[in-house]
Amino acid sequence: MTEGLRRQIVELASVHSGLKNVVEHDAETIVSGTLLFEASADGLETIKESFEIELMIPHDFPETLPRVKETAGRIDTRYEHRNPSGTLCLAVPIEQRRVLLEQPTLLGCVNRLVVPYLYGYCFWKKHGRHPFDEAAHGHEGILRHYMDTFSLRDDLSALAVISFLLEHGYRGHHDCPCGSGLRVKICHGQALLALHQQHTPQTLRGDFIAVFDLCFAKFQNGQISFPQRMRLQLARLLKIVSK
Amino acid sequence: MTIDIRKYSEFLEQTASEIDIPPGKYQDAVDRYQAVGRWLEEGTYSGSSGELIIYPQGSFRLGTVVRPIRGGIEASYDIDLVCELPLQKDRTTPQSVKLMVGDRLREHGTYRELLDPEGRRCWTLEYTEQDGVGFHLDVLPAILDGRGLLDTAIAITDKKGESYFWSASNPRGYGVWFDGKNAAAFARTAFEQKENIQRRASLIYSSIDKVPDQLVRTPLQRAIQLMKRHRDLRFNHHERIECAPISIIITTLAAHLYGNEPDVYSALSGIVGKLRAHAALVESGAIERSLATIGLIRRKPDGTWYIGNPVNPGENFADRWHEDNHARARAFFSWVDALQKDLLNILGETTPRLLKEHLSKALGATVVTKNFDVLIPPVSAIDAPRIHITNAAKPWRDV
Repeated sequence: MTEGLRRQIVELASVHSGLKNVVEHDAETIVSGTLLFEASADGLETIKESFEIELMIPHDFPETLPRVKETAGRIDTRYEHRNPSGTLCLAVPIEQRRVLLEQPTLLGCVNRLVVPYLYGYCFWKKHGRHPFDEAAHGHEGILRHYMDTFSLRDDLSALAVISFLLEHGYRGHHDCPCGSGLRVKICHGQALLALHQQHTPQTLRGDFIAVFDLCFAKFQNGQISFPQRMRLQLARLLKIVSK
Repeated sequence: MTIDIRKYSEFLEQTASEIDIPPGKYQDAVDRYQAVGRWLEEGTYSGSSGELIIYPQGSFRLGTVVRPIRGGIEASYDIDLVCELPLQKDRTTPQSVKLMVGDRLREHGTYRELLDPEGRRCWTLEYTEQDGVGFHLDVLPAILDGRGLLDTAIAITDKKGESYFWSASNPRGYGVWFDGKNAAAFARTAFEQKENIQRRASLIYSSIDKVPDQLVRTPLQRAIQLMKRHRDLRFNHHERIECAPISIIITTLAAHLYGNEPDVYSALSGIVGKLRAHAALVESGAIERSLATIGLIRRKPDGTWYIGNPVNPGENFADRWHEDNHARARAFFSWVDALQKDLLNILGETTPRLLKEHLSKALGATVVTKNFDVLIPPVSAIDAPRIHITNAAKPWRDV
């Protein structure tokens, strides 16, 4: 365990005193215990609850995010936002990064991702609906995130945005990938820069593959076709990500 | 320790919903059995005239499904289907009805793989599902055997050794009778429940009127589910597992005794109280006059027992209760006492820990743990960190 992570675990326990069990493994450190909180959100009720949770923290945190499990079997089997492996599905990867970067520590991860998730669950259990909306499952949720963030109208534009990020990162003087014909810095500059900063190589690669898969399936069904320029770019990028 | 009865009733309601079939699973099962139905419909059966029909019977039809528990582990759901062939009783034989259905199922590549060896009355298809929660469909070959158009009685095939014979049954008639007992409570609660189900399963049901009636549960249905689960656990390791009260007896008596109570606790408490009032029958004693008049459970002059099928009084569900020095009757009444002790007399529990232990033994640890907080909120320290959520992420799911 690095000194940095050790300090973060201490900080976490100073706020959430129930998260006190620490076990160190080769690839990750596991922090577990009771997470007690009293949470509120604008215009919504205050919920006081406690859950037994386990945080599996990879050694390259915050580059890679911890996986989180609820260990007392309290999450209703009907609640859909759990991964097939049983870990809590806090948000699509890039949105997790966005939230975490507001406070890139273990405490930030718990307070900004885990607590809101559990609050959302309690709210759902009580009222049958989600307080903060929910993302579509699987790749579709990832695609939607790009479309919403950039107010895009179709899948190909989303693919163009991710391809742009993957190939160039942020380039203010390029043509904006949204297809407006404007330059990036006077078009989607801010949103693109934010994404560029939030992404890690893994998350960017993952999102590219997810959105490409969706588009490719539609291409095979004859629903869309790739413009010539995009085909060349995709061929280049697929070679890069497959390495 | 004080327990709020309203909260306890809510706990019972949630526990019952946990052992019930969830809407998504229900829809899967309906899709599966309709596919089986279509396949059977398209078959040719010698001597048949008219249309084959397939419909659910038993707990799936009545809305009293309980997830079976085998060796302490939640197992596959049982779904019973009647497959009614358009044949006349005097122009066919039980053997040919049974075998024609079996042959037709085997003609289908997938069903051939799923099919179990021939059962006494049914053909069983075993579905294992991706999420590990499978079900078996029991297909019961039958022919219509009613007198007159409105009579829903059927003849089913039965097999002993190598010989086949007919038995009588009337699952549709029973269903209609049960619905009648359930009707007032259903009308009271259906809309609100459907609204709730639709909100929770909006991917499956796009609007409230798409939610099937079969997913609504009244306090009667919940009470039956809890009684069945308690029975399953109590007789699981019992040396006399064959004495476990059968579901049709539990369902019939509960439906007769349900007094339209508005919540699960009072429904259960009404039913169990009136069942216990019959216990003196074991020693051939007298029971309360009003109960004796209704005559739900009776002793005949020869000492044998009678619990009639409400749609076919000739059928006696308790025809084996006298065997072995009334072993089944005794097991039934001691189980009813246990219901009272385990599920109703809970106010005497002294600590949350003991209460949780006892309820876990009675209804299963997994489901009790999941809903126990409804009953006793977790002891929470006063200094819970306060967090105000802004800019929250939307929950997702990887696939």
